[in-house]
Amino acid sequence: MTTLSSAVDLLVPTSVAEAVEAFGDGAGVTVLGGGTILTPEISQGRLAPGRTLLLTRAGMAGVSGDGTLTIGAMTPVAALADGTPEPLASAARNVGDPEIRAQATLGGNLCAPAGGLEAPRGDLAAPLVALAARVRSAGAGGERTEAVEDFLAAPEGRLVLAVEVDPPRAGAWVAQRRRHTHAYTLLGVAAAETADGVRIAAAHAGARAARLVSVEAALAGGAAPAEAAAAALDDVEPHDDALASAWYRARILPVLVARAIDQLRGA
Amino acid sequence: MNLIVNGEERAVASPPLTALLHVLRDELGVTGPKAGCQQGGCGTCTVLVDGEPRRSCLLPLAAVDGAQITTVEGLGDLDDLSTVQAAFHARYAAQCGFCTSGMMLAAHALIEHNGGVGAELSREQVQAALGGHVCRCTGYVKIVDAVIAASRGDVEPSVGIAPIPGEPQVETPGAPA
Amino acid sequence: MKAVGARLPRYDGLNHVTGKSVYVDDVRVPNMLWAKALRSPHHSARIVSVDTSRAEAMPGVHAVVTHQDVPHNVYGHLEALGVPADEPLLAEHEVRYKGQPIAAVAAESEDAALAAVETIDVVYEEREPFLDIRKALDPGQPQVTPEGNVFRYYGDQVPRQIRKGDVDRAFDEADVIVQGVYRPAAMEQAPMETQVALVVPESTGRLVVYTVTQAMYFSLGVLAAHLKLPMNAFKLVGGTVGGGFGGKVDTAADTISALLAIKSKRPVKWRWTREEEMLCSSTRAAWHMEIADAVTNDGWLLGRRTMTLHDAGGYTRFSSYGATKHTFHLTGAYTIPNLAFNSYVVWTNRVPSTAMRGFGVTSVSFAVEMHMNRIAQTLGMDPWELRLKNANRVGDTAPTRVVYSDPSTVTTLLEAASTAGVELAGDYRTMTSARREGALLPEHLVAQQGDTGRSNGGSR
Repeated sequence: MTTLSSAVDLLVPTSVAEAVEAFGDGAGVTVLGGGTILTPEISQGRLAPGRTLLLTRAGMAGVSGDGTLTIGAMTPVAALADGTPEPLASAARNVGDPEIRAQATLGGNLCAPAGGLEAPRGDLAAPLVALAARVRSAGAGGERTEAVEDFLAAPEGRLVLAVEVDPPRAGAWVAQRRRHTHAYTLLGVAAAETADGVRIAAAHAGARAARLVSVEAALAGGAAPAEAAAAALDDVEPHDDALASAWYRARILPVLVARAIDQLRGA
Repeated sequence: MNLIVNGEERAVASPPLTALLHVLRDELGVTGPKAGCQQGGCGTCTVLVDGEPRRSCLLPLAAVDGAQITTVEGLGDLDDLSTVQAAFHARYAAQCGFCTSGMMLAAHALIEHNGGVGAELSREQVQAALGGHVCRCTGYVKIVDAVIAASRGDVEPSVGIAPIPGEPQVETPGAPA
Repeated sequence: MKAVGARLPRYDGLNHVTGKSVYVDDVRVPNMLWAKALRSPHHSARIVSVDTSRAEAMPGVHAVVTHQDVPHNVYGHLEALGVPADEPLLAEHEVRYKGQPIAAVAAESEDAALAAVETIDVVYEEREPFLDIRKALDPGQPQVTPEGNVFRYYGDQVPRQIRKGDVDRAFDEADVIVQGVYRPAAMEQAPMETQVALVVPESTGRLVVYTVTQAMYFSLGVLAAHLKLPMNAFKLVGGTVGGGFGGKVDTAADTISALLAIKSKRPVKWRWTREEEMLCSSTRAAWHMEIADAVTNDGWLLGRRTMTLHDAGGYTRFSSYGATKHTFHLTGAYTIPNLAFNSYVVWTNRVPSTAMRGFGVTSVSFAVEMHMNRIAQTLGMDPWELRLKNANRVGDTAPTRVVYSDPSTVTTLLEAASTAGVELAGDYRTMTSARREGALLPEHLVAQQGDTGRSNGGSR
């Protein structure tokens, strides 16, 4: 029998305000959203949470808004698959399987531990970067809203409350993965035609989602998709992990970028 | 905390972050859901939470406090099999049986969400819904066949083997208990 | 014979669909303790010292075992067949693969057992591992065993060999030599149920072992050998297994749990995590196979040479047997009169390999069939016709000179072609397995033919 230390101090807020207060500055707090990522760690004894914030009753789920969408951090990934714009919808559709998607959350996916030999989770970050999404979070210094890339650069001590997304004119998601329901994405490219032009981001080319500014610049300068795509390796340094080698990722990244651009234009 | 397991209210003493799978198996002695991987990757732990199929190895107890939990034990019994159970048995959809509980619960939910028995499911629908359930024995074909048959209501309501049209009927020994 | 041809319900079908099938982890007994193992983090290392004192003193820990607790530690699965014993139940002087168990703990909870395992101090002297079977015969490689890296059959025979006919002449007379290298990778059986063992000591001293073994009597023998107890000291309860596929023939979990049960005098359950199953449980072996065929322009296989390297991992287990089976089958479903096969069982610093569905022979099927395609391509010949010509027929002989009395190759090929919608040319479409004659009996196949009456009683 797996027993857990009863030194777990569990907090189950029933409103966003309570959640923010319970989180405080996040020091020593384990945040449980859907639980799909952390529960196995806890069950297998790799994580022993003390103060734990369970968000299932905090009323932080839901997609609202006309035009700009506000997506609550506890919105299940399944809800994103149908009713949010591309490339977010397609990326969401490929996370796990229906049972996992129903339990996993946007916030959990965004805050998934990044990179390394661990399972490459967090597909949704790159689509959000491509969409120029904004993250509203709470923590030390109070609530703030910032570009998703800025949030991802320093997520420690922040509690994600919601993500704001302006619907793009077009969106595309191209991902390389094995043909199995549970296959992780070993490399993904998200593209969106936003009000400020085309934005492209790579998932799993390196530790975190990265905007491919060199590709964007080349496209803006009139380069053809394949030519612009070649610039992708100026923006990221692909890594080795259990799924694929850096060499392989570097080889196929420009191909996926070119496809994403084609898809965007064809859409 | 408490759970309503197969219609029965059960008080549970396990620590709040214990995975539902372990609460069911270790504390409550409900061993239908299995611990195949404990990472959500195989589906053997799937149970219904308020009618929805979920990985019980991924759910902390506190997240399902007060919920209705349905396990294979709650689907039907030897003398009163549910349609899905009868279909799985009649069509040899179980070999070692380890994935069977999870498969049937996911199938049951799929059929219910599509209007119940009588709504004929397509292979694509079944594969999409059960895609996260791994079977190492059967090769999946008979599982999909059984789910589709169940969705059509195409099974004998009682214990036994559904006659396959065109095959000679041979008197078979009684099914052992 | 009412059952033959009838559709019978599975005897366990109703139990499976009602959740009543009892797998080992579903068995709960009072006062059960939980086991966890200390496993080697290194591929190859000398063990300098092991200190379990801190683990033994931990609250909730009821037993810690090491090699010192094993009455007969080094045992070999095929000892009775003359294959030297080489594998310790719990490591003593060295570890030969990452994940090899060194010690095990029985405690009140899995968490307590894990915590105790973490306090066991082992001092290792890491060694360079040997991991590439292609270097098996190279000098200067790290040596996995005191006998080196290559298994010797019958004490001095390296490799497992088959010689038949005159392969040198076949290669001289060939029109074309077709070569290929085939490297099927290791494969984890990955049954849905991991290894689980529950051992319950009875007051009489008998041990009740709830086991996932695929081979009850075999496991009984292993338990009895390691624990130096008579077989009637055990009662094995098994038969409800969540998949095995060859991976549950080695059930060291039973024996280690039994040790803990004896020492703690309590029931002990050990259930492996999926990670342990994937990383530490025995797998199907990786193979490196080189095939060279002496072939005529019109598609007759005159001779075959092979060189196989089999990755046995750190200990022999059943590998010598698997490689033997492999070698016996290296002509596949086809008749080749002149053969020289050399198969090497190579020890490496990997998890020891074991059986998996078609032990030793699935590699052959893969390689031989790919090679036949390669030959057909080289000759510009139809791959079906190549196979049908060379297919085993009544009176043909296997590499071991066993006479085929009822080979199914031709029937199978014709059925496959028909199912695949392939139109075969006239003579091929009506081929049978009947004894070779006429155009199907070229000179070079005459000598290899045998008399089915003698060995198999009844020819067609």
